[in-house]
Amino acid sequence: MARRRGSAWVAAVRTPVGACSAVLLAVVVLLAVLAPLVWGDGAAAIDTDAIGQGPSGAHPFGTDSLGRDLLLRTLVATRLSIGLAVLATAIGVGTGVVLGTLPSVLPRWAGRLVIAAVDIAVAFPGLLLALFFAVIFGVGTQGAVLAIAFAMAPAFARLVQTLSASVSGRDFVAAARVSGVGRSRLLARHVLPNIGEPLVVNATIGAGSALLAFAGLSFLGIGVQAPDFDWGRLLREGLDGIYVNPVAALAPCGAVVLAGLAFNLVGETVAGVVGVRTRASRRAAGPLPAPRPAAAGEVPDDAVLVVENLQVAFPGPAGWTVPVRGVSFSVRAGEAVGVVGESGSGKSLTALAVSRLIEAPGVVTADRLEFDGKPVDKASDRELGTSLAMVFQDPMTSFNPARRVGRQLAEVSEQHHGLSRRAAFARAIDRLAAVRVPAAARRGRQYPHEFSGGMRQRAMIGMGLMGQPKLVIADEPTTALDVTVQRQVLRLLARTREAEGAAILLISHDIAVVSQTCERMLVMYAGRVVEDLPTGSPPQHPYTRALLATTVDLDTDRGAPLEVIPGRPPEPDQVPAGCAFAARCPLATDRCRDEDPVPAPAAGTHRVACWHPQVSVLSGQSREEGAA
Amino acid sequence: MTTAAAPARLRGGPWPAFAARRLARFAVSLWALLTAAFLMIHLVPGDPVRAALGMTAPADLVAARRQALGLDDPLWVQYGHYLRGLVTGDFGTSMVSGQPVAQVIGDRLPATLQLAVPAFAVVVLVAVPLGVCFAVLTRGGRRRGAELGFTSVSVLVAAIPEFLVGVGLVALLAVGLGWFPVAGADDVSAYVLPVAALAIGPAAVLARIIRVELLSVLGADFVRTARAKRLPARLVYVRHALPNALTATLTLGGLMLTGMVAGTVLVENVFAWPGLGSTIVQSIVTKDYPLVQGIVLVYGVGVLLVNLLVDVLLGLLDPRSAIREA
Amino acid sequence: MSALEFDAVSVRYGKLTAVDGVSLTVPSGQVVGLVGESGSGKSTLARAAVGLAPVSGGRVRLGGVDVRKLPRRRPLQMVFQDPYSSLDPRMAIGESITEAMPRDTSRGARRDEVARLLDLVQLDPERATMLPGQLSGGQRQRVALARALAGRPQVLIADEITSALDVSVQGAVLNLVRDVQRRLALSMLFISHNLAVVRYVSDVVAVMYLGRIVEAGPAEQVLTDPRHPYTRDLLAAAPSAHRGLLDDVGGDPLADTEPADPHHPPPGCRYHPRCPIGPLVHTDRTLCVSADPADDAAHRPHHAACHFAA
Repeated sequence: MARRRGSAWVAAVRTPVGACSAVLLAVVVLLAVLAPLVWGDGAAAIDTDAIGQGPSGAHPFGTDSLGRDLLLRTLVATRLSIGLAVLATAIGVGTGVVLGTLPSVLPRWAGRLVIAAVDIAVAFPGLLLALFFAVIFGVGTQGAVLAIAFAMAPAFARLVQTLSASVSGRDFVAAARVSGVGRSRLLARHVLPNIGEPLVVNATIGAGSALLAFAGLSFLGIGVQAPDFDWGRLLREGLDGIYVNPVAALAPCGAVVLAGLAFNLVGETVAGVVGVRTRASRRAAGPLPAPRPAAAGEVPDDAVLVVENLQVAFPGPAGWTVPVRGVSFSVRAGEAVGVVGESGSGKSLTALAVSRLIEAPGVVTADRLEFDGKPVDKASDRELGTSLAMVFQDPMTSFNPARRVGRQLAEVSEQHHGLSRRAAFARAIDRLAAVRVPAAARRGRQYPHEFSGGMRQRAMIGMGLMGQPKLVIADEPTTALDVTVQRQVLRLLARTREAEGAAILLISHDIAVVSQTCERMLVMYAGRVVEDLPTGSPPQHPYTRALLATTVDLDTDRGAPLEVIPGRPPEPDQVPAGCAFAARCPLATDRCRDEDPVPAPAAGTHRVACWHPQVSVLSGQSREEGAA
Repeated sequence: MTTAAAPARLRGGPWPAFAARRLARFAVSLWALLTAAFLMIHLVPGDPVRAALGMTAPADLVAARRQALGLDDPLWVQYGHYLRGLVTGDFGTSMVSGQPVAQVIGDRLPATLQLAVPAFAVVVLVAVPLGVCFAVLTRGGRRRGAELGFTSVSVLVAAIPEFLVGVGLVALLAVGLGWFPVAGADDVSAYVLPVAALAIGPAAVLARIIRVELLSVLGADFVRTARAKRLPARLVYVRHALPNALTATLTLGGLMLTGMVAGTVLVENVFAWPGLGSTIVQSIVTKDYPLVQGIVLVYGVGVLLVNLLVDVLLGLLDPRSAIREA
Repeated sequence: MSALEFDAVSVRYGKLTAVDGVSLTVPSGQVVGLVGESGSGKSTLARAAVGLAPVSGGRVRLGGVDVRKLPRRRPLQMVFQDPYSSLDPRMAIGESITEAMPRDTSRGARRDEVARLLDLVQLDPERATMLPGQLSGGQRQRVALARALAGRPQVLIADEITSALDVSVQGAVLNLVRDVQRRLALSMLFISHNLAVVRYVSDVVAVMYLGRIVEAGPAEQVLTDPRHPYTRDLLAAAPSAHRGLLDDVGGDPLADTEPADPHHPPPGCRYHPRCPIGPLVHTDRTLCVSADPADDAAHRPHHAACHFAA
């Protein structure tokens, strides 16, 4: 772990932002330490012969009203400017952390009082707070440090509160509490380490703001007072003579901006390394991997969806990741086909790809991808919008939270049927009633959050029925729902199929749900269809058999241990050359590990991609404990 | 734990509660502001009158002034006077000029508003289209170059505070090219530089926030639903993505707007603008406490009003925010 | 060994009564399965037992002693639903396990104990120094189990421990939990929304609906001869490869009823707005709307909270 962190730092410094921030920080720190020692006397030397001069060879930035060299003064001012900013930040962050953790230590009413006070203070901008405190603490360096520190404190208190509230809400804190871990140890061992990094990042960026704020106060004449000088003070003096020598004002400006930027960039770099914010990889992924050639299968005449050798690829830092690797199947008109597989098998991406919903940077390729007899990429929006219906997994997030449900349905007809707003809304109400949403007229005027999960999923199906769907693609439509509601939604899908003659492509991780709803199922593993079989007929692929055997249902033998599949599926970027299931398969031979099986017809429409299909009855599955 | 919604009971239900909560919060914050401004004078170490009049002022003058300001009364009596004064529009009297504070504020406030309102308009008019444009152009990792350019420029610009932008603009456009006056509020051209100085930074910040929020909304499930309905891209953005991005933007952008209220203080001092900002700094330096107190109140109320406005807008844009609160 | 007893436990969050007067006993060394839909209060009941939810009425007893009077390190441990959030991402798994051990364990004994526990949950003891991020979901759930066992519990609460896992991993975790429970003769409260999983693990099954237990009894009896209409509905709705989806569905007016809102529980029997043998179907059964069947549930078979329990 430590080594990984170390190399992450090295890598971070090699990025343009990281390199910039490292160099800037080094320059600023060096100047802060060395400049007063080397040039301190020069910066204070008064030269009455050179008062208020512009830039010259002797004085590159010119001189001030006492003839002092402005370049040297700008350099020397680094120490005070940076030092005061860091001091103010330290006090401010310290106060903030105390204020932020107090509510968890104090009695409840006192804690709430602190939270309320911080809430009110946070609403006011930092500069206003700083001015307020400057009045109390008085004009001058000390007053300004305290003013800026106390102005920063509420924001940090709020940050600590939010961060620790989010950490405290996680299960590992609850688990530690259940194990009997005390309050202080909880704070020290679980909460603080998990908020430390974002806190450091924000403190670094906060130091940048403190630097700017300090320059501001000194510029206003409230901060550092003569004869001391920081950049803000130099700027104030330079502004008076801006017509004579603009450089006198611009030099401290530039210094403040550079130093502020240094803090900001360092903060960003630290954030990148500790993973507070992740950045998209910018490395090019190289040429797309060529899909393996596949023999064109037989396509039934009444196919509403034909997919041949479908591949979905995403660029990653180490080349292309291909979560869907050559999938072929077809769906006949009015047929219900299920797609089962575990997470990461590529089943949802397949659904999105056939409905043309994969967006860049994802790349979809296929030998043939046709909906209703036409290539999907050539189909018009109207055709897809009215005859291809989609139902997504999470009915909570799949509706626009800020629009009324009826209007979201009506959009389809406004757009694709050219109906007026009123007519389209009337149709939406009619469709909501058709999917048995009670009191449809009233419900149509409600927002999605006023619907229960099951009702939302109904409305989603209703949205698909605004047109005349030939195919309904339902991607885990019941995963987020309770069993009794799940049954209602599945029945609604079945009825829709009956009433509209629509084919259904049902994606689910639950083999029982698919068996119940569909005539045929496609079993996916590591981006491939490994078996395509009529539901009810005995599976031949070892993975399908294992999947069926591991499923717990109401008839499972309570006396025997459950079947398990040892190991886990390969990561999408580490798929082996041979059969992807070989490593977990009790029947695997050398051929399986070397050669990738292609789907071959088994019986009728049944296809299996396996070198050793099992025709016998279910038996002899592994009962070993795998995983570890 | 997820719970089913109770449709019938929600009709019109949360709105009055939401409005009441927001108003209550405004009232509590206002009270805290008034009290803090009152206490400010009493927290100044030593005798504020002595501090204001200087060490050389005769003792009887100080005593008389203390008497006039009521500083010898018990604290709660003074507090009562203070609140009663505020209600009747009496903000006290300047210790330096002897003018009523309310009159000074009345003279100076318009100049500040003439700066802040146009600057705010510029921020919104520039940042929203800019942020939306770059979000659409760079969605899904497209046009890395444009993204890098936008991000670095906006980070850089946002990192430069108003007063430095102001000084830079003065040096370049007023001193260097002579296009605009350096200071004062005499004619329209005098407005250009201060408004620009005040608006550029917040515009960069807001554009960046809008881009990030819009990008995150474009990745949301309901945008996928909108695309699955095969709505034209324009409708997906305008009808589904933008309203939801704006709610998030408003929450973050509210802080930035209040920051602009404070930004006027610095910008006015760069351009010698005869507004509240230059007045408050002078009065802090001259320790004219009643005047400082009055101006702090004006700024504070301004900030609170902006916050209230943001809350109301949020409630209108996002039907859930009212529910979440209730 | 000792039993875990809930005696008329209620949990209130503001106006919401998440758990409403629940009485339930987990007998010593037995597994009680608690099943119900989301919002039924089953997880809240578990959290109340371990002190993570405020008990506003009744009491929870462990071996006859009120759990609030037990020392901070209670012989009552819990495994959480989501293995991705229940382990501190910054703490080595061995350390997470050590933390849960009794204070008096010596340093050397702790190391041995971590190895023993990891071995018990079928993980390589060498992995003790790993961070949770380096483990798969199933492996993390084993670590969570090991941590719970480190507290030397007499009672274990398992709250939806397999619902975040894939089917192929679920089996291994269930086998392990069952094995450990038997070997250590633990009492266990096993919570799940999945009736099939509860059936497989439990000796006793309790069914929860809207903060109440509506039926409880020996697993085999409750599942083969359910008395409460809600239990029957759950059983019928459980997906099964052996039953068609549209079997047994007539033109019943209840097929599309919505789950009730826990903030506003219906009067009388809480299930009556969805009940296939209630007032919506039998108009003469007004009793369901007016009288709470929980009051005399103790006299009915399986303590069914139904006036017309068959």
